[in-house]
Amino acid sequence: MAEKRRTDQQERPVAPARPPLADEHLRVPALAPAPAFPVEVREPQARQQTPAVGQRVSRPDGRLHGLGQTRYIADLALPGMLHAKIKRAGIASARIVRIDTSAAEAMPGVMAVLTGREIPVNSFGPSLQDQPVLAAERVFHAGDGVAAVAAVTEQIALDALEKIVVEYEPLPAVFDPVEAMRDDAPQVHPPAGNIYATKVIRKGDVDAGFAASDRIFEGQFRTQMVEHVPLEPHAAIVHWDANGRVTVHSTLGRITLGRADLSRTLGIPFNRIRVVATIVGGNFGGKNEITQEPVLALLSKKTGRPVKGVYSRTEEFIATTTRHPIIMDYRTGVTNAGRILARKVRLVLDGGAYCSWSETTLGKACILSAGPYRIDNLHAEAFAVYTHKTMTGAMRGFGAPQVCFAYESHMDDIAAALGIDPLEIRLANAFEEGSPSPTGQALHSVVVKDTLLQAAERFGWKEPRS
Amino acid sequence: MKRRGRGLACMWYPIGFTVAANPSAAIVKVNEDGTVTLLTGTVETGQGSLTVLAQIAAEELGVATDDVHVVSADTDTTPMDTGAIASRTTYVTGNAIRLAAANAKAILFEVAAPMLGVKPEQLEARDRKIQVQGYPQRNLGIGEVANHAQVRMGQPPLGSASWNPPTVPLDPETGQGKPFSTYVYATQIAEVEVDDETGEVAVLRIVASHDCGTPINPMLVEGQVEGGISMGVGFALQEEILFDAAGRQVNPNLTNYIMPTTLDMPEIEVNIVQSYDPTGPFGAKGVGEPTSVPTAAAIANAIYDAVGVRVTSLPMTSEKVLAAIREKRAQGAAQLAAPRT
Repeated sequence: MAEKRRTDQQERPVAPARPPLADEHLRVPALAPAPAFPVEVREPQARQQTPAVGQRVSRPDGRLHGLGQTRYIADLALPGMLHAKIKRAGIASARIVRIDTSAAEAMPGVMAVLTGREIPVNSFGPSLQDQPVLAAERVFHAGDGVAAVAAVTEQIALDALEKIVVEYEPLPAVFDPVEAMRDDAPQVHPPAGNIYATKVIRKGDVDAGFAASDRIFEGQFRTQMVEHVPLEPHAAIVHWDANGRVTVHSTLGRITLGRADLSRTLGIPFNRIRVVATIVGGNFGGKNEITQEPVLALLSKKTGRPVKGVYSRTEEFIATTTRHPIIMDYRTGVTNAGRILARKVRLVLDGGAYCSWSETTLGKACILSAGPYRIDNLHAEAFAVYTHKTMTGAMRGFGAPQVCFAYESHMDDIAAALGIDPLEIRLANAFEEGSPSPTGQALHSVVVKDTLLQAAERFGWKEPRS
Repeated sequence: MKRRGRGLACMWYPIGFTVAANPSAAIVKVNEDGTVTLLTGTVETGQGSLTVLAQIAAEELGVATDDVHVVSADTDTTPMDTGAIASRTTYVTGNAIRLAAANAKAILFEVAAPMLGVKPEQLEARDRKIQVQGYPQRNLGIGEVANHAQVRMGQPPLGSASWNPPTVPLDPETGQGKPFSTYVYATQIAEVEVDDETGEVAVLRIVASHDCGTPINPMLVEGQVEGGISMGVGFALQEEILFDAAGRQVNPNLTNYIMPTTLDMPEIEVNIVQSYDPTGPFGAKGVGEPTSVPTAAAIANAIYDAVGVRVTSLPMTSEKVLAAIREKRAQGAAQLAAPRT
């Protein structure tokens, strides 16, 4: 390997000699040095072995990542490409009275400006189509986009946003999901009520289960709103070509759904849209639906040039989906030996301004909320509620990390009160092969007890403590 | 004083969408030299899924992972896929790929059978060969068969297939039904150190025992677990989007939204629990999301074990932990000061 590298260096053209300059060490080299890596790839053995399943096979993209050769959207450029930026509302609930884009359009270097009224079908969403691509009449949360600019440089696009004047009429807002559930709360999407999805699971007879219990425990648990924070922000390059065909290079994690959303919002058939997902620098659920792609497409249509958009870190926080904060009330009836006889759960999910993946999150949170335990008498109910905050959506775990924090904290409280070891109380209640789930499904390949016992063994749970 | 504690949390998690159809389709082409091109509509989002999918195709065709080139994520060329979501790629897309590879393999067997003088059902694909079951010395290279199929027989060995996890809709009144085809299970145990004067929590060690069915690639499973735990640590102790009274975020940047760095990461021990799901490709289920599910609960229980306070809201910041410790001390002092009756 070392020998080959030396050969490469010898073959490189040698620059004519010149005396070193005094500030040589401060100067940026005119050309990046040629990479010194072998082009002949010797694959690790695992990649060559059969059978393939079970091998610790390295990833073919790993080499490119390691050499810095992976091309993310930020590294890509097409000839004549423009840069787009989106103006954010900065107000949580308002009616848009007027948008004046004339000063921005007059700026040198600004090639096009777009507002929500110009979008053919200005709504999208995986279950409820309640989200505008750009807010046109009403602002639902402070991160809503209200106008977009395509310019020859990113900086000109940013400067142009400052020249766009938007007049708002502030409207009442609600930020607390419990307040939002009240009948007199301001409605986020009138005439629809703020509770936009519910889920119920009833199994056995909870009242009888509580009556038969030796002890009843209650607890309320809450979780916060968090962001996915992928290293690579949402980014796309869109080109509307002279044949009316739209090519989208994007960080989307779901191109099949993305193409459907683009077809709907742009009002053009599926076969005129090509979505190519580039190598994605982190997703974690945050890149599962379109964001700026229709905006870039329409700016490209207006200008006839490819348009690139890369979200800033701030936009990642304020204008993309986040994890649902959940308020979780638990009530559990147990025997003195620690066997759970009945459980009641109530979940209130702060859905933010749009539904996005809330219905899926609600369903998973509700079904999983009882924990991996055999509970004959269960009543779980869950509500997803609109507030004038950043929208919540898909994020690694879909409600499961929230309810797990609740049911496992609650479990340790019960164990401590009954004087039972946390491991033992779980083993006494855990699912077994064939156990019915809260929805009455007979579970198969159930190894929850194996995970408990093996983790305890590896940790040294039963060893005497110092 | 720094006090140590340990906490345990277990969980269950479903693979795929809740009742809704979430199919995947795949196309597998065996080239004339026995190498393979796999077309999938899923997207590599950094988790290594394309490598796992190549391993599944390779296993079905009896070739090595390196023999399979994966073409992905282009709506003009690759078949539909519900996408990199819901921990479904290995299980759902993997099943579609396995079926597509089996269809391509059926053509190879049909072509190879007369060459080897046996029936197609007597053949197997192993070690880059098509061979007679029980008589491995009677074999042909997969490339030889593939070339013969395409060039002589006019039957290019390619297969396509789709797969959707079987579910039963939930009753709207009782929620009874079969929302998911399968579930995975896991336990994480955390060891923490809590400074009872500052409320600061340091996570020292996490033992993570995870079920993913058959681990198609144990190294990538370990990577998922370690990544999931880092998200879990941030969720437990640090991360929180804060809003002002007007509903605007006050910390939408990485200066004021605090995330774990490598310095905050505990020592992690990953244990893959042996399990086999007959409905998954070669017994596999999935591992992506569940890895970050039990971490916060395990840390919360470890804090309780260390200093005897139950923090009921996330994130469990130093301020919250310290306030809970002071409240507990105040209660203890009040009890001591109470006059005896």
